[in-house]
This record gives sequence, C-alpha cells and structure tokens, in this order.
Amino acid sequence: MNAIAAIARNTLREAIRDKVLYALVFFALAGLCFTLVLGEMSLGEQERLTLDLGLAALSLFGVLIAVFLGVSLLYKELERKTVYVILPKPMHRWQFVIGKFAGMVATLCLLVALMGAALCGLLLLQRASLDGALARAILLCLLEIVVVTAIAIFFSSWSSPFLSGLFTLGVFVLGRNADEIAALATRAGDTAVGLVLRALAACLPNLNLFYVSGSEVEGKYVSVHGAFVDWGYVGVAGGYAALYLWAALGAAVLLFRKRDLV
Amino acid sequence: MAEVVLRCEALSKTFVTGLLRRKVSALRDVTLSVERGEIFGFVGPNGAGKTTTLKILTGLVFPTGGSAQVLGSAPGDVAAKRRTGFLPESPYFYETLTARELLDFVGRLFGLDRAERARRVADLIDRVGLRDAADRRLRGHSKGMLQRVGLAQAMMGDPDLLVLDEPMSGLDPIGRKEVRDLIAEQRDRGKTIFFSTHILPDVEQLCDRVAIIVRGAVRRVGTLDEMREGLEQAFVREATR
Repeated sequence: MNAIAAIARNTLREAIRDKVLYALVFFALAGLCFTLVLGEMSLGEQERLTLDLGLAALSLFGVLIAVFLGVSLLYKELERKTVYVILPKPMHRWQFVIGKFAGMVATLCLLVALMGAALCGLLLLQRASLDGALARAILLCLLEIVVVTAIAIFFSSWSSPFLSGLFTLGVFVLGRNADEIAALATRAGDTAVGLVLRALAACLPNLNLFYVSGSEVEGKYVSVHGAFVDWGYVGVAGGYAALYLWAALGAAVLLFRKRDLV
Repeated sequence: MAEVVLRCEALSKTFVTGLLRRKVSALRDVTLSVERGEIFGFVGPNGAGKTTTLKILTGLVFPTGGSAQVLGSAPGDVAAKRRTGFLPESPYFYETLTARELLDFVGRLFGLDRAERARRVADLIDRVGLRDAADRRLRGHSKGMLQRVGLAQAMMGDPDLLVLDEPMSGLDPIGRKEVRDLIAEQRDRGKTIFFSTHILPDVEQLCDRVAIIVRGAVRRVGTLDEMREGLEQAFVREATR
C-alpha cells in the first residue's frame, strides 16, 4: 500500500503544479459563470436554469478534464521516461497503475469540489436554497467522471493519447445513450446489427445512471428541482461504478503488466 | 567461491517493430555473472545492447530467451528490486519536483519512515554534491546535476547491487571523478556495482572485471589483466571484428 499511496500522492502533487490544469479549471469555472448570464436572460427561471446548466457544465467539463488528463497519465510517464526511474523500485506494475489512477481520482475530486463550490456560490448569489439533492447530483457526476477516467486509463495502457482520447469520448457518448442502444438492440432482434448492438450494450458503461435529473428512474420522473433520487440510489450507482472500475483497471493492469518499456 | 549477485544465461531479446512486424535482434545469448563486491564494467559501442540488458535486469523489458537472476530472484521481482538501485541512461524525472522531494518520494516507495527518509535524503544530497540545488525544481537542473540526482535516487534504498547505465554521461571531468569516487566508496561498503559505459578510461580506473558486448553478443569477459593487449585494443578489435 505504501507504493500506491506514494504514487497517488506524487500524481496529485504533479497535477496541482501543472499549469495546464489551471487553464482547464479556468475554462470550467468560466463555463459555470456563463450559466449565470444565460439565467439572467430567462424570465423568472434564473435559479432553475443556473442549476440545470451548472450541473451540465460541471459534468461536461469534469468528463473533458478526466479524458484530457486520463489518456496521457501512463503515456506521459513513458514518453518522459520517468517510468525508468520509478518502476525499478520495489513495487508491482499493478501498484503503479492503481497509484496513478488513485492520484488522478484525488485530483478530480478536488476539481469537482471546486466546481461544486462555485455552482453553490452562484446559486446562493441568486438567493436559492441548497439541499441534499444538489449534493447527490454532484456526487453522481463525480462517479461518472471517475468511471470515464478508468476507461481513459484502459485505452492509454495500449494506445496513443490521441486515439485513447477519441476512444474514451466515443465510449462516453455511447455510454450516455446506453438505454437507446439497448432499445435498438431489442428492436433489431437476432439480426447481425442486433447482435452487435447487444454486445455494445453489454460492454458499455451505462452512464445514464449518473446523470438522472430530468429523466425517469424506475418509472418515476426525477429532477434536481423536486423529487430526486435518494442516497440508496447513489449507493447502488457507486457499486455499479466500482464494478466498472474493477473491470477497466483490471484490463489496463493486464495489458501493462507484460509491456516492454523501451 | 564468491556469491553470484547477478547472472545472465543465454539471454536474448528480439523486438518486433512497425506495421510489417519486422524482427530486430537486440541481444543474442548473453551469458555473464557478477560476484558480490565486484565493480563490473559492461562495455560496448552505441547500440550494442547494453541498455537493453540493463532494462531486462531491472524488469523494464522482458527477455525472449534465456534467463536472468538478480540477487537470487527473477528480474522485476519485488524482492530483487528492494535490494537493487538503478540509474537509467540520461535519467528523466518529474520536472515539477525538487531533488529533495524526488528523493523523499523514492524513500516512500521503499517504505521508509519519515525520520529515515529525512536522514537518507540529507546524507545523499551531501554525498552527490547537491546541497545548493536540493530545493530547486528539477526543470532547471543541468544534465550533470540531473545525473547526480539520478545517482542519489539509485542509492536511496541503500541497495546491495547498483545497476548504472552510463553513470558518467554528461558530467565534466570533476563530476566524473566524483562519480568514480562514489562508485569506489560503494564497493568499499561491500556493494556490487554493474555499470555500462563506452568511456574506457573510467572502466580502467574502476572495474575488477569487464564484459565487451558488440551487436547484441558478449564477445569477451574477464579482468583487465586478462585482456593483455589492453582494454582499448580489445574493445576496438572486438567492435570491428
């Protein structure tokens, strides 16, 4: 555990000292503030619009930052040859991958906390009341971001950052439409297209689980403005995320374990 | 008979490159052994296979044939890595860290407690002559200073075996002498040193035994005395054969 904690700590420290991250945070916060402008243009719906657009911005920027940082996490170590200094130290390769992931998750937790605090600040400016639904919605966004990070690391364990980025964004878009893909698969029946769609639906993470406001959950309409999912739902979504992390990181570790680091 | 610390038996490595899956043989039947307390020079021209051998011994690259043992374990085993210090060729570090932070990080990887880390970091910074630059970010370090940081991180775990890839590379004459002294001091402390280089005077001043590798194959292994015509002659003869 020492090695994992040391690598995670170093990954977080590196990220905090990286100027690129500050540029990304600036854009994310600017995006959040823009929701205020859009809110002002609506008639009597400022709070509602700020909350909806703010959550959407938090989710989108969080995912984009996760993809941007996640795809280069292992590649940067290889490209800059820092891995030649670190991996000969007393640790297993899987500890290195998990440590890098843990450091990345810590970085993203800080980012989401920062963006969440900014969103709360914007809502308070509009004299809106904050409740547990917002906390649950932000936590679900964080779970989605962590799953996307694990997918980015999986792709980056065998592919270039550019391709890994494309693949991860592809999985994100398809994952957000997992329910539609499953419905299409049912409609296509036993045709070749149906089989492909079923395979896709089985492998893809269902990211709709993490972005539920304005949709139906178990036949009920849920919204962050009214009746929202409870903490039990967040726990189940956390369990689903954990299973997906286990699969994605397990595959990344298997691919990285026997890789020649030349 | 002295304990064998490092052993390669018919070690070979073939890389597969490009879309056409072209095979490139980097090592062919490399056999050698290094005994406890030795300074062993691994000499060869650029591209001879020195770095590939060292990467196999440190678990960064996997051999396609033969076998290797490091301190009684397979290369890459945590048990072997715990007792081995490695300096890669032209080492690269996390540029946003200072030398002190990097050494502390390496100490954490070895599971050292805070007090022991602080003691070793201070000691190594002194020994490699980095006291004035210890708290400056590595981004601003010269090649020679980075080489010193590299040596310090290799010694952070107080290893029994030091594997050094071109340790004098990028150093001025004074820096080279300091590194030679440091290597000799490690030998005096009972450590074993296996280092690659193509700088023959360093080998002549330091090494107990030498292996000459050319185009992936070990051509000669022996003491400097056994190479009667002198190391330089032997090196040139083997490299041009």
